Parts: sequence; structure tokens; C-alpha cells
Amino acid sequence: MRRILRIAAEEMRLMSRTRTAWLGLIALVLLSSIAAATSLAHVAGERAARMEHQTAADQAFEAQPDRHPHRAVHYGTYVQRPVSPLAAFEPGVDPFTGTTLFLEGHRQNSATFGAMRESSGLIRFGQLTPAFVLQTLAPLLLIFLGFSTVARDRETGVFRQLGLHGARAAEVLAGKALALGTVGLIALAPALVSLATAAATTPAEMASAALIGGAYAVYLAIWVLVVVAVSSLARSSRGALLGLVAVWAVAVVLVPRGAAAIAAQAEPAPTRVEMDLLLAQDARRIGDSHNPDDPFFAAFRVRTLRAYGVERVEDLPVNFRGLVAAEGEALTARLFADYARRTADRQRAQSAWLQAGAMLSPALAVRQASMAGAATDLENHIRFLEQAEAYRFDLVQRLNRLHAQGVRAEDDAARSRDLDAERRTRVSADTWATLPDFQFRSATPGQRVSGMLPGLAILAGWLLAAIGLFVFAGRQLRQVAG
Amino acid sequence: MRSLVRELWFFTRSPAAVAAIIVLALLSSVAVTLGMAEIARERASIARVLQMQAVEDQALIDYAGDAGTFAYADFRPTWNAPSDLAFAALGQRDTAPSILRVRPLALEAQIYENEQRNAELALPGRFDLAFVAIYLAPLVVIILLHDLWSGEREAGRLHALRALPRAAWRVFLPRTGARAVLVGAAVLVPFLVGATLEGAPPAKALLFASATVGLLAFWTVLVVIVARFGSRSTVSAAVLAGLWFALTLVGPAATNLVVNAAVPTPDGALLARQNRDAVHGAWDLPRQETLDRFLELYPEWSDTEPMTEPFHWKWYFAFQQLGDVAVADVSTAYRDGVERREALAGLAGWLMPPVGFQRIMHRAAETDVEAQLAYQDRVRVFHTRLRTFYYPYLFEDRPFGAAEYALGPRFDDGPAEVVSPEEEAP
Repeated sequence: MRRILRIAAEEMRLMSRTRTAWLGLIALVLLSSIAAATSLAHVAGERAARMEHQTAADQAFEAQPDRHPHRAVHYGTYVQRPVSPLAAFEPGVDPFTGTTLFLEGHRQNSATFGAMRESSGLIRFGQLTPAFVLQTLAPLLLIFLGFSTVARDRETGVFRQLGLHGARAAEVLAGKALALGTVGLIALAPALVSLATAAATTPAEMASAALIGGAYAVYLAIWVLVVVAVSSLARSSRGALLGLVAVWAVAVVLVPRGAAAIAAQAEPAPTRVEMDLLLAQDARRIGDSHNPDDPFFAAFRVRTLRAYGVERVEDLPVNFRGLVAAEGEALTARLFADYARRTADRQRAQSAWLQAGAMLSPALAVRQASMAGAATDLENHIRFLEQAEAYRFDLVQRLNRLHAQGVRAEDDAARSRDLDAERRTRVSADTWATLPDFQFRSATPGQRVSGMLPGLAILAGWLLAAIGLFVFAGRQLRQVAG
Repeated sequence: MRSLVRELWFFTRSPAAVAAIIVLALLSSVAVTLGMAEIARERASIARVLQMQAVEDQALIDYAGDAGTFAYADFRPTWNAPSDLAFAALGQRDTAPSILRVRPLALEAQIYENEQRNAELALPGRFDLAFVAIYLAPLVVIILLHDLWSGEREAGRLHALRALPRAAWRVFLPRTGARAVLVGAAVLVPFLVGATLEGAPPAKALLFASATVGLLAFWTVLVVIVARFGSRSTVSAAVLAGLWFALTLVGPAATNLVVNAAVPTPDGALLARQNRDAVHGAWDLPRQETLDRFLELYPEWSDTEPMTEPFHWKWYFAFQQLGDVAVADVSTAYRDGVERREALAGLAGWLMPPVGFQRIMHRAAETDVEAQLAYQDRVRVFHTRLRTFYYPYLFEDRPFGAAEYALGPRFDDGPAEVVSPEEEAP
């Protein structure tokens, strides 16, 4: 053990005398700090803006004047997807999804706006966030710092001297890995500090944040082991460098994009407009509330009359229009839920391809774990859409109940022609404040941890493979050193 | 010429170099194939929507009886058909919708709809030929050329080669040329096959190909400079990989932050809310007042009957339009903000050739932010045509049925010149 530490110390002393090592280290510390600081500031601003919008939308809804309840159904309201507490570290899909969702009766809208629609094409080059630094740039730094760590010793014959001094090959490699890992940690401290800072604001995030930190530690350990092993196995420093850069390009750049392209090809998703049109056809097939002879709504009328024990719609104690509106809303809401589930299932099937890609790229594995832990993954967006739809349906049905119970049928029928009748159909302005506001329930810590499991499991597999390669390199080296 | 042939022959003797070129050619071919499949899917999707629209038309005709009821439910498809080069640079087509149905109601509530794609697929970026050319091909150039001189020195041949008369012309230039041409061919041959199959216009295809050549030429020159002065192959390789990574990854990502901070855009969520409040506020205002405000903007309908009842469709469509007019300035500022960000990114392209050349590729393929904005402009023009088509029927209480409905505008049959919301509102 002491020998490993001595070799590590010697290696670090050597690195400290190399200009390029300092250059790389300083560059990464700087980048990492810039990424952490800007991401923190950006996310704080974004969080404040979305909270402000949510408050304003809630206030606007409550401030409605006396209105017909169906007006309020169309006035609708806006919900904002809140920014996850750890988004400053790992924004995940947040910039690539709409953030503002308009909720109204009869329709299901898409989440609009969002960073990708408001940025230049540069956004597609990647975003400078702490997670990006750790996933993408950190492995390259480790490669630059470590590609020659063993190869150089072999080229200059130092390794034979070490062998004379009784150092075992495994100890040499372990020492070098320790040195590389330590330097790597220094460079990445700002990114990890930003993770801790983001978590510190919300104690409930501690568990996920710790697990995310652990996942990145494993990820970087994998790279350290691979870099040292390749440096030891390669015939020359140059071979090690080119080989490692190629491995990096495949694992970090090529596979994630390739897997996404294959996923889109294997699980083709229809456009939103196509889904809308199919849904409209289905809705008409079930029941058309505009058509007086429609069998679905005719049956509903018979059912309603029987339930109230009356013969004619006019004798109902409630406003039949409100009941029809509620029934129609329930019909479309069932279809919305069905279609949304199909869309979500297809997207999950697509994301399963990314997980398959994680078998070829630890970067995909760590990203999956980190997004799931930070609640900035696809699953979180689906949760938001589902909860928003549930809230929309509940709100509209409350308004429809007001329509059925608070608006007299005669006034309702005459409101387009008679100003006084129109005035009487308006329910009082204080009604709006009694309706509930939207509260997004984020994934619980337990759900998030279980969401991280696939990524963590694949990462663990990678770690075992990297250890295997490292041990193999140690054996080879022993044979060379004889 | 002889030296070029000799260098090509030398090249085939290096298994690693040959493998790099073959892998690059394979990836280019896969990118072209996937890109073409993606574009074919988008075209099929547009065709399906247009087909399904016929069903919607019939359903509307079956139930609507007057111009107002027709107009209220008259969603007409607009689409942003992929260009014949889109397969090579898919660009922003995954996040922005390629089909949007609009009706003659307030457009600001309709035009910002997003496509419901899986954002986890958008996150890593697209896998298309532009990606292979911008990210991967330069790495192959670096691998093949970084040890042009140092490799010979390390092999002990450099002095012998230098002793040859005109060594640069006879050895190093042909060697650089042969290798760069091979890299270019690995990207461009699959591209030309794809462009031919797609029937891309030669001028645009040439522009795309030139951008690829330009980018590879930039990297070749950069690599040769570093290789000429690099003492050891390892140092050259590390410096070049660092440059690649600064110019292709870090620089653009950092620039994105700077650009978005430098050019603020109006808040979209606020714009949407202001539009809704302007539209819905009309229900709580005197009817005639709203109608009069509309008639000031559209005096050609001044002869219309005054409002006597609480509801008339002409009033309804008048306040929809007034809702758009109320936020026209913000809407224009929003669009211009995005456009200014894109323009600033273009300036950054001069400092970072990978950014600059990628922009040329996306422009040639019409898949950039500019193309998305142009599509939105066409949607605005179409929306104006659609709502003004209904105005005579609404303001003159003319009957409206299947025959009139068939006269309505279609997205592909009219002028596409740009009218900004400001100009549109006198």
C-alpha cells in the first residue's frame, strides 16, 4: 500500500512539472467553474420566472369577473413545469421540452416555449453545464493527463528500473490510477460542489444528490482505469492517445447520437397533428355532442331523465347543457388519457433503446442515472403532462358542475340573444378563488432512486469490465517487465 | 501525379489508416441512410395528415351551418416540407413541428405549439451527415496527418526524405493531399449518392459539399501547421485533439450561453397570457366598442350592422384578431430576438469554423432556425388569408356551406411572402 502511495505521489510530482498537464487542469477547473456558476444563475432565474408565471396565471384565473362557467372553461389557465432542484447541476431534457402548458376545455394542448425554440442553432452543440463537463469533458482531460502514464515509463525504460526496485506491476498501475484519479477529482471539484450546492437548498434532495455524485465517481473511475490500462497495453504513447481519443469519440459522441437515431427509427412516433386527427375521428365515432340525433348523447339524455325521474329535459332540476358538457368532457378526457398513454409508452420504448446504447457507452448510463436522480428526465416531463391533464379535467368538470347547478336552463338557452339573460348566466366572481390551484408533485426520493437503478446497474457492469481490463493490463505488464 | 499514386499505395499499407477511412465511410453511409429514412417518414406523415384532413372537412360540412360555426372549427393544415437536402442535415426539424393546423382564431395561441417528440432523443444531438462531417471527419484528419513529419523523424527517415530535392512537393504535399482527399471522399461519396437519390438541386448540393470541403480544408491546414512545428507525434496529437475539442464542443456551448444572455427575448409565457387576456376580455366589454375597434383596423367592413345581441360571430372573430394585434409588438420582438440570436451565432461561426460550416450545411438543407422562422412566417400569411376569407361571410351575414368551404385557402396554393404582424395591423 505504501508503495502504491509513493508511486502515486511520484506520478503527481511528474505531472506537476508538465506544462500541458497544468494547462489542461486549469482549463478544466475554469470551465467547470464557469459551467457551475452560469448554470446556477440561469436555473435560479428560470425557477423564479416560472414561479412568477404560475402565480400570475393563478391570480388571473381567480381575478375573473362574474362569468358564465363555460367562459371560464375556455379562459382556461396555464401551468408551468417547475424547475427541479438539481437542474442547476443536470438540466437534462428541461431545455428541450416546452415549459408552459395551456389548459382549457375540450382540448389538450402541447407544452409550448422552452429554451430549444428560443435559442440559436448553437444549442445543439451541447450545453455548458456541470453534468456536461463531467460526462463529456472530464474523460478527455483524464485521457490527456494519463495516456502516457505507463507508456512513457516503458518507452524511457523507467519501468524496468521500477521492476528492479521490486515494485509489482499491479502496484505501479494502481499508483498511477490513484494519481490520475486524484488530479481528476481536483479538476472536477467545482462541478461536484455545484451538485452539493443545488442539493443543500433542499434537504430532500440529499439522497439523490449523493447517489448522483456516486454515479459520477464510478463513471470517472471507469475512465481512470481504462486510461491507465490502455496506456499500459499500447505499444506507444501515441498509440495510447489515438486509441483513447477514438474510444472517447465512440462512447461519448457517437453512441449517444446513434442510439437516439436508431430509437427514432425503430419506434417511429406519429406527429402531434396526426394523433390529434386520429383522436378527433375516435371522438366522433363514440359520440358527437353537436349532433342532436347522436346515439351516445341520446342515450345519455334517457339515462339522465330516468335518474331524475322526469319526462322532459325542461323538467330537470339542473341545467342539462352543463350535464352534456360534463359528459362530453369525460368522453374526450378518456381519449386524451388513452392517446397520452400511447405516446408516453412509445417514448419510453424509444428511451429503452438509449438504455441499450448504455451497454456500449458508459456516458449514456451515467446520463440516465443522473437525469433520473435529478428528476430532469423524460419520465419527469411525462409526470408533469399527466398531472396537468388530471388537473385540467378536474377543473373543467368543476366548472361544468357549476354550469349544471348554478346557471338556469332558460337563461342559458337565451344568453346569445338576450342581454339580461346573459347577465343572469354569470356566476359570481368570488367563485374562482374556491377552485384549487395546480400543484406539481415531483417524483419522491424513492421513485427517483428506483429510476436511477437501470443506469447504475449498467454503470456497475462497466466498472467490473474496466477492473477486468485493468487487471489484464497488470498481468501483461508483469510479463513485459519480466 | 506519380507521387500521389505512390502515396495512395503507401496508405493502403497502413491497416489502421485504412480502417479509419472505412469506418468513416460506413458512418457516413449510415448517417445518409438514417437521414433519408427520417425524411421519408416526415413526408409520409405530411401526406397522411393531408389525407385525414379530407375526413375532417366532411365532418365539418356535415355539422356546421353558418360561416361562424365553420370558421370556429376550420383547422387547416400547414406544413414545412423537408427540402431535398434535409436528409444530410436534419437540424431543428425534431424539436419544431413540421405540421401545424391553424384556424381563424387568435394565432398567437396556436403558433407556438411544440411537437411531442421524446426530448431524450433530441438531447445528444442528431446523427446525420453534418454531424459526421463536423465531428468525426476532423478527428480522422487528425489521426491521419498529425505525425506527417514527426512520424518520419521517429522512424528515422526524416533526414533521408529531407535530402530529396523538393521534398515538400514530392512527399509531404502529395501525402497530405492523398489523405485529405480520402477523408473527403468518405463523407462526400455517400452524400452524393443520397443527394442523387433525393433529387437535390445541384446548386444546393454543391453548397453543402463545399462546406464539407471547406471544413476539411480548414482542419487539414491546421493539422499540417501543428504537425510541422510539433516536435513529437504525441504532442501534436494532444494539441490537435485539444483544438478539436475547444472548437467543436466547448466553444459553441459557451457561445450559446453568451448569445442567449446578450440577446434577451420577451417572455413567451407572458406573451401567451397577454394574448389570452386580450381575447377573453372582450366578453366583459360592450360588444359594439370591440367591434368598432376592429372596424378602425378593417374599415372595409364598416357597413356591417351594429351589434344588438350579446353574441354574433363577426364580433367573436373581431376580438380574436384584436387579441393578436394587442400582442403584435411583443410577438415581433420575440421572433426578432430568436433571429438576432441566430445572427450572433453566425458571427461566432467566423471564429469557430465548425460552427460556421455547420450553419452553411443547415442553411443549404433549410433545417436551421432561420428556416423554422420562415415557416412560422408562412403560417402567419396563411392565417391571414384564412381569416380574411371568412370576413365577407361574417360581416355581411352571407350564407356559408360546403360550396363556400371549398373556396377557402389552401396552404400550398397562395403567396408566401412575409407579412410581419406589425405591417398586418395598420
